[in-house]
Amino acid sequence: MKFTIYQESRIGRRSNNEDRLAHCYSRDALLMVVADGMGGHYYGEIAAQIAVQTLVEHFQREAKPTVADPLAFLNKAMISAHCSILDYVDDHNLKDSPRTTCVACLIQDNVAHWAHAGDSRLYLLRGGRVLAQTRDHSRVQLLIDRGEITEAQAATHPDRNKVYSCLGGPQLPEIELSRKLPLEAGDVIVLCTDGLWGVTPATTLAHAYRNNNPVKITPMLLDQNDRLAGPNADNFSLVVARWEDSYVGEEEAESNSTSTQTMPLDTITTRLDEFGRNPKYKTELTEDEIERAIEEIRSTIQKYSK
Amino acid sequence: MAQQANHALPSGFQLDEYHIEHQLSLGGFSIVYLATDKNGQFVAIKEYLPNSLALRGEGEIKPVITEEHLPAFRYGMKCFFEEGRALARLSHPNVVRVLNFFRANDTVYMVMEYEHGRTLQEFIQRNRAVITENFMRNVFTRLLNGLREVHSHKLLHLDIKPSNIYMRNDYTPVLIDFGAARQTLATDTPMLKPMYTPGFASPEHYQQRELLGPWSDLYSIGASMYACLAAAAPQSADSRGEKDRLTPAMVRWEGRYSDQLLETIDWCLCMDHLQRPQSAFSLQKALIEEVRTLPPAPLPVKKTWLEHVVGKLRGKAEAK
Repeated sequence: MKFTIYQESRIGRRSNNEDRLAHCYSRDALLMVVADGMGGHYYGEIAAQIAVQTLVEHFQREAKPTVADPLAFLNKAMISAHCSILDYVDDHNLKDSPRTTCVACLIQDNVAHWAHAGDSRLYLLRGGRVLAQTRDHSRVQLLIDRGEITEAQAATHPDRNKVYSCLGGPQLPEIELSRKLPLEAGDVIVLCTDGLWGVTPATTLAHAYRNNNPVKITPMLLDQNDRLAGPNADNFSLVVARWEDSYVGEEEAESNSTSTQTMPLDTITTRLDEFGRNPKYKTELTEDEIERAIEEIRSTIQKYSK
Repeated sequence: MAQQANHALPSGFQLDEYHIEHQLSLGGFSIVYLATDKNGQFVAIKEYLPNSLALRGEGEIKPVITEEHLPAFRYGMKCFFEEGRALARLSHPNVVRVLNFFRANDTVYMVMEYEHGRTLQEFIQRNRAVITENFMRNVFTRLLNGLREVHSHKLLHLDIKPSNIYMRNDYTPVLIDFGAARQTLATDTPMLKPMYTPGFASPEHYQQRELLGPWSDLYSIGASMYACLAAAAPQSADSRGEKDRLTPAMVRWEGRYSDQLLETIDWCLCMDHLQRPQSAFSLQKALIEEVRTLPPAPLPVKKTWLEHVVGKLRGKAEAK
C-alpha cells in the first residue's frame, strides 16, 4: 500500500475547535476519520473526540492487517462511537447529550469503503473531477432533493446547519454506507467538515489536487478557505489521501508518500491528536464556562442529595 | 525559594450564606475553613487559592491574580471543578459529601460536610495503642466501602494517604480531598504537575500514568495501612524502583499482627500493579476473612525517652 496523506484542522474565528481528525494504517489497510462536534450542544468537542477515538480503537483491534468486512466494520464502529458518547452522558449526568457528525473511510485491497452520519463529507476525486461524494444528512439536502430549493439557496438557508443524523443524539443515528469503490493510482480522497466544504467548492478541491502533492497544496487551500470564510468562520478541517501505485519504485515516487510494504503485520500507525494536548485546544476557562461548570455541579449535588 | 503563604479570610467573615469560624488547613492549592451555615450547622469550605498563582495579602479579601498567571489560574480552576464534579455524584457514608459550590471573591468555593474528628494521620500519631488488628481491619474495610463507591463511578482518588482519611469520633473513616481525582477517561494537560504524595503514590503515579487504575489507589491503601503500623510513610515507590529497601510488613511486624493481615498489606504494596489486588472488593474480602488463629496481643510499645523523641521528630519530618 502506498499513499500520501495529510490532515489539518483550523479553528477559524471560533473560540473552540470542535472538529476532530484521525487516520491510522496497518500494512494493508488505511482508516481516515473526521468528526465535527456540534455547536450549541455542550461538549461538542468531547463527542467528536470520543467518535474518532472509538473508530481508531476499533481499527487498532481489528485490522490484522485487514478487517474482515470493511462496511460492517464501519457500521459497527460508528454505532459503538454513538454508544460511547451516550455512556459519557450517563457517567457525567449531562442534561443534554453532546453530538457529532462523523465520516470515515476504510481502504484495503485497493478498494475504498466509507460511511457517514451528518453533514461532514467525503469526496472521491479522479482526474480533476468529483467521482463520488457523500449525501449530507441535512434539512437543506432534503429540500434540494425535493426540488424545493437550489444549491445556491441552500448555502444561505437558515436551516443549513440542521442535520437529521449524528452520533450521540437521542435517536440511533442513520449511518449511510457507500458501495465498494476500486481505486486507481492518483485518486484523491478528501474527508472534510462543513467549515471547509461550505466555503471551498468541490471543483476547487478537484482542481487543486489534480497535479499537486496534497502535503504541499493543502495548507494553501486552508489559508484560502480562511480568507474566504470571513469574520464568522467556523472550524474547518480535512484529511486528504492520494492513492499511489504500489509498484512505483522509490526513485519515481514523490516524496512525502507513505509506503506500508515494510511494516510488520501486527503494527498500526496512528495519527490522532490527544484530547487536551492539541496546542490549539484552549485550556482557559471563559466566564461563561465557569458559570456553566458551577451550575452543572450544583444541579448534580441536588440530584444526588438524599 | 520559599513560597509566600496566602492569608486566610478573617474569622467572622460572611462568605455567601456562610459565616467563617476559622481556618482548618492550608495547602498549596487551597485553604479549608470551618464555617457555619444559616442554620448554624458546621461545614467545611474549601477555597481554591493556588499560592503560586494567586496571592491574598493580610487583611485583603480578593486575591491578586496577575494577567500573566490568569490562564494557569483558570486552568487550575478546571481541576477544582473536576473535584467538585467527582464529589457531587458521590453520596456515601465513607466519602465526604459536597453540599454546595459557589463563586465569590474572584475565585470558587466548595462547601462540604463537617464532622467532629481528626485525620487518620493525626490519629495514628496520638493513639499508638489503639492500632490493633481489629482497628485496622474495621477502619480499612469501611474505608474500602467508600472507595468501591468511588471506583464504581469510574473515578480514581489518586491521593489516598492517612492525612486524606478523616476519622469521625465514632472511628468511622471518611475519604476526603479529591483534589487529585480524575475521570479515568480524561487525559490532563501537563500544565500543573500531577499531585501525589511520596510514600503513598503507586509506581504508576511516577512513570506510566496510563497504567493508573483501581490497583493504584489500592497501593496507596496498602501504604496507608503500613504507615498506621510504622507511624511513618513507607519508602517512596520511585526510590523503591531504584533500590527496594522497604521491609515487608510480614517481616517487620511478624507475631504482632496476624500473618494474613500483614500479607494483605504486602500484597497491596507489590511494585507490579498486576500482582496487587485488582479491585477494592477483593481487598475488602481479604480484610474480612476469618483469621483462624487469634493474633497475639501487640506488645506494649516500650521505648526509651530518647527513641520516643526521635520517633516523634521523624514522624513530623516524614509527614511533610
